[in-house]
Amino acid sequence: MVAMNPPTDQETRGRNDIRGLAEPDAEAPKVARVEGGTATFDAADLSPRLVNLELRRLIYAEGIREVRIENPGAKHSIAVGLLARCRITINGSLGYFGATLGDGPEIHITGRVGWSVAENMMSGVVVIDKNAGSLTGAAMRGGDLVVRGHVGARTGIDQKGGTIVVGGNAGSMTGFMMQRGRQIICGDVGPGMGDSMYDGEIYVGGTVAALGVDCIEAEMTPEDEELLDRKLGIYRIDRPDTFRKFVCGKQLYNYDNLEPSERKLVL
Amino acid sequence: MTDEMASSESMGLGKSRIFTPEVINDIHVKADLGRYRMRGGGIFKKIPHWDELVFLPGTLTRFVIEGYREKCTTKTVLGSRFAKNPLVLDIPIYITGMSFGALSLEAKMALAKGASMAGTATCSGEGGMIPPERDFSTKWYYQVIQSRYGFNPHHLMLADAVEFFIGQGCKVGMGGHLMGQKVTEQVAEMRSLPAGIDQRSPARHPDWLGPDDLSLKIQEVREATDYQVPIQLKLGASRVYDDVRMAAKCGPDVIFLDGAEGGTGAGPHIATEETGIPLLAAIPEARRALEDVGLADEIDLVVAGGIRNGGDVAKCIALGADAIAIGSAALMALGSNKEVEGADYQGTFGVSAAEFYHWHTGKDPAGITTQDPELRKRLDVDEGATRVYNFLHTLTLEVQMLARACGKTDVHSLEPEDLAALTTEASAMARVPLAGTSYIPGVTESQTLEEIKTLLAKHVANDGGGSDV
Repeated sequence: MVAMNPPTDQETRGRNDIRGLAEPDAEAPKVARVEGGTATFDAADLSPRLVNLELRRLIYAEGIREVRIENPGAKHSIAVGLLARCRITINGSLGYFGATLGDGPEIHITGRVGWSVAENMMSGVVVIDKNAGSLTGAAMRGGDLVVRGHVGARTGIDQKGGTIVVGGNAGSMTGFMMQRGRQIICGDVGPGMGDSMYDGEIYVGGTVAALGVDCIEAEMTPEDEELLDRKLGIYRIDRPDTFRKFVCGKQLYNYDNLEPSERKLVL
Repeated sequence: MTDEMASSESMGLGKSRIFTPEVINDIHVKADLGRYRMRGGGIFKKIPHWDELVFLPGTLTRFVIEGYREKCTTKTVLGSRFAKNPLVLDIPIYITGMSFGALSLEAKMALAKGASMAGTATCSGEGGMIPPERDFSTKWYYQVIQSRYGFNPHHLMLADAVEFFIGQGCKVGMGGHLMGQKVTEQVAEMRSLPAGIDQRSPARHPDWLGPDDLSLKIQEVREATDYQVPIQLKLGASRVYDDVRMAAKCGPDVIFLDGAEGGTGAGPHIATEETGIPLLAAIPEARRALEDVGLADEIDLVVAGGIRNGGDVAKCIALGADAIAIGSAALMALGSNKEVEGADYQGTFGVSAAEFYHWHTGKDPAGITTQDPELRKRLDVDEGATRVYNFLHTLTLEVQMLARACGKTDVHSLEPEDLAALTTEASAMARVPLAGTSYIPGVTESQTLEEIKTLLAKHVANDGGGSDV
């Protein structure tokens, strides 16, 4: 990452880490314009720390419910750990760890995102208009995460709840070790899908290159169809005609329950 | 012929040191089971340990400090590098992360209460926060662990420090284990798992892979917690020098090193025996790494693994640790491995109370490493808390005693110079001289080699100076 404000000599002596990511002493820049309950600010010259301080100031201290961030410049760790209902529009792309650890916010990113977007989200909505990197929605616990474009590998790894909707294709190991929740992938999915999943459902509209260990196909029910109609309807994503549903085969639940012939499953 | 057919014991050739009765039994069990064997506890095999180091107290060359009369401070501050609120502990010892799930609710509460009485911290461990533990802990670490079981940003905001679990000394390179017997409805719900499954936690974090990503993950959690609390990285002791250098560059406030002696609630026996290096070898390597990256004064070092008494704690500090975390010993202080009324260790597990390592079974007669409602009743939270407090207090008194004897008015002033080694192995690993000598294997040789090189260079310079006499 390029440091936004080059540290001064004073700062580099002791109060900075090697990569220049830590900014312990920063204060909110107070640059936002507020009009009719909506705050807008330009992040072009702000470091992630300053963007987050400004966001926190607006949402927690000023009680503003709608924020628009211009020129986010693919910065990392933007809009993280927000625990309040609010609506944030990020007009551009984010780097790693965008919109993570949130409970409540509705975040719209008009560009692309890097790895681990919406990681550990508790509730709320994150919508990404273009593509997302790998580890999308890692360990997510609730809410809706919508990627209109394609996603990389290990989407919804360790997912514990909520719904991940992908308009395009998904990479390899999608739903790796998934525990709960749902994934709706409208396009094709790469190899190793649902590997070692514990529970939850993965719906796929396109082809699946190969299933991972202990992932099996299950019958679609009317409830499944209703869910797909509803979720894709809310986010206005074209619904493929048919979906297939994949769940956990539950063969790996206990160490001692495998028949001798099944033991090679885990090799 | 008579030799091969020897019928009396006195005629026998001997016994295999390789295929011992225990090894043969292990092979028989595995041939029946078809899988690796699980157990609780720490390493069984003999490795170089703190017993092989001794202190060199003051006599005439150093003067000593009066016990009980002159001050010897124990206050320990961790994470003042970037955190607005560093963790301030009254003593240099705290209680390491052990999950609710591995431990009973009562055990977690008693550890929290005992630690608070002693003015020190506890840690959530893997299974998420349980409110009674947070309530009883005046200082509380929240763990960001690979599985993220029960991880909740609201709980993150309640933490006094955040620990990134990257590995543990007992089974370096592996995630946690919790056998189905202990995955009750409540434990499963907290972890968003089906009840009763054998839980094998991921070994890798879901949202980052290498050190470059980790530095961004640290940035993320710092941003989320607004730089209020220290960030600590917990590593299993393996390639310590390189790992600590990398960890330091990721920007943490504290690095936690867990030696191979560390225990676990449940883990594969083979991993417990065969992974990681001893703490006495790890601490000097960590110090060297921090010195070499120029962060020795900024990043604090916490260590853990097989710590039993104040002597072990003092030796860790002398080698360069700022604080020491205990796990197994804290459980024993609570009453683990102790005869209790109604318990039949021999009949149930085939071993005595002292040799009980079956923490993974969830049938702990002392009510500590179990979720069984009947067994849990055997642990009284207040009595347990008092025992934990007593033990933590005793450890501190023992550290102070050794520090005073070595002439220190602050336990953190203990240094490698205060130690000697009893074996060449310990001397080479801990880099303190073999008792009664000034010899440190490896170090002495390289110093001698340097001297020879310098002398040789001088000699060549003198001799090859163009003299034509």
